[in-house]
Amino acid sequence: MFYRRLLDRWIGVVLSTIGIVATLWLGFTGQLALYIHPRYFVFTIVMAVIAGVLALSAFALVPAGPRADGHGHADGHGHADAGSRHWRGLGAAGSTLIAAAAVVGLLVLPPSTLSTATVTQRDLNGSASTLSRSDAVDLMGADYTTFTMKDWISLLRQGVGEEFLTGKTATVTGFVTPDKSDPENVFFAARFVVTCCAVDAQPIGLPVYSPGWQDRFETDSWVTVSGGFRTNPSQISKEALVMVPDSIAPVPEPDSPYVY
Amino acid sequence: MGLLIGLAFFAVLLALRILAPAAEGSSWLGDAARDFVSLSISVVIESLPFVFLGIVLSIGVQIWLPEGFLIRRLPASPALRRPILSLLGMLLPVCECGNVPLARGLIVRGLTVSESMTFLFAAPILNPITIITTQQAFGWDNGILISRIAGGFLIANLIGWIYSRHPRPEALLTPRFQEECSLEDHAAQAAGRVGRSVQLFVRETGAMMPALFIGAGIAGLIQVGVPRGVLVSLGTSPVWSVATLMVLAFVVAVCSNVDAFFILSFGATFMPGSIVAFLVFGPMIDVKMLALLRTTFTAKTLVQLTVVVALCSAALGLAVNYVL
Repeated sequence: MFYRRLLDRWIGVVLSTIGIVATLWLGFTGQLALYIHPRYFVFTIVMAVIAGVLALSAFALVPAGPRADGHGHADGHGHADAGSRHWRGLGAAGSTLIAAAAVVGLLVLPPSTLSTATVTQRDLNGSASTLSRSDAVDLMGADYTTFTMKDWISLLRQGVGEEFLTGKTATVTGFVTPDKSDPENVFFAARFVVTCCAVDAQPIGLPVYSPGWQDRFETDSWVTVSGGFRTNPSQISKEALVMVPDSIAPVPEPDSPYVY
Repeated sequence: MGLLIGLAFFAVLLALRILAPAAEGSSWLGDAARDFVSLSISVVIESLPFVFLGIVLSIGVQIWLPEGFLIRRLPASPALRRPILSLLGMLLPVCECGNVPLARGLIVRGLTVSESMTFLFAAPILNPITIITTQQAFGWDNGILISRIAGGFLIANLIGWIYSRHPRPEALLTPRFQEECSLEDHAAQAAGRVGRSVQLFVRETGAMMPALFIGAGIAGLIQVGVPRGVLVSLGTSPVWSVATLMVLAFVVAVCSNVDAFFILSFGATFMPGSIVAFLVFGPMIDVKMLALLRTTFTAKTLVQLTVVVALCSAALGLAVNYVL
């Protein structure tokens, strides 16, 4: 009974503290970008600090026992029936479960980026989250040596031909994810584009023609690919143009794995 | 003593985080399970500051503003109060998850349930950040911005009007929140302002945090379980595109301040009406919001609200697709 009422009273502060510690640790170790857009970093840290002060004040000022204002919930007045006790018991078990899940998810498991599992859920290059048509037209006269992965994908999406790409070399870094239509010979060097947080991440990627790539690279490992473009030699892949790599080098996951 | 316990608790959690296994520690989880965790954490980390901000504003409204400060400045006529309240988000630009604790505070401070609903549903759309980001994403093209602003205003006021006619508005609230409201007077006599502020923080986090964590878990689960390609493939007809993006809004539960940038990436695939439906429905109802709203409103009320908001958003989307 005492544990149940204690939990009922403090579950919010406990969950808040777990969230605050996780947020501040992610912020100080430079890993907040795994979950949210950098534009929110300052706001998130400031609110975590404010909430941290309030949580510590709660520990300092609010008596630890059930309801400092002298009131319990329905059973706090001492005439709860068996049914309500049953539900409150379940509620306490649920609260314990949520707190345990929060500890494991936020404080025990290491932070990680999204993987190929999410790529397959979200249709690689399926949205127009790269650049608009006019931006792509601007790219056609720009210095291609400065192009990012988004720039190259924009050009490919606009249907530029092999002629335009002849002699141009791209260097991009992304994680390896197989081409669904020809997983033996083609993989994508992929990144997620994030608008707000990882929930809205959209996968984008450049197709790389490299038969037998599975023998050299694991899915979801990070690589830097350098090479030109040509018509896809694969007969079954749905990608019209692919990168033909001069080099593919394994690299560690970047500090900022998403693009914005 | 309490402060020492609090500091020790912080220290234990921090030590746990620092000593937890490094990158390979979750390799035993499958890709889908790891992504489920990442997506759920992403919802929590993104929403937490807004929920805290909402709670801080709620504390400000309930404890630090003079008694009747807001109510006195509102018109006496309910028909005028609701439109004014729908514009309150211009002054308090909190995201939708932060609006829930704020709306709870407004009810405690004397707003009727229907008036708080009007604020709750209008504020995520009718606030400067949302309007600016929508304008940046879509400009004035296709009437998307105007439809969003007008649609949000009209639906929020329609809901306020409907529930203002309810004979027993307190029945719309959960028994627990009704009890919270009745505690205020007793609490006011029990402690000073600082003490009451801290007590309110404890109470509001007690209501909001479990809901937020459950909502984040459900959102993560749906994200991993429902292939987005299935939704997108349905999006080419004027009718199905509206329904599809409303489902997407419900599932993705993205913050209203930036949802315009998110849906911009689908702009080439979907019709303008479906985008309007996404931008109006999402800030009012989504999987995370329902979990948070359940702290305050009964399940029956939430079903009714979801149906009304969904029908109105769909009608608005279809009107934009067929008329504009």
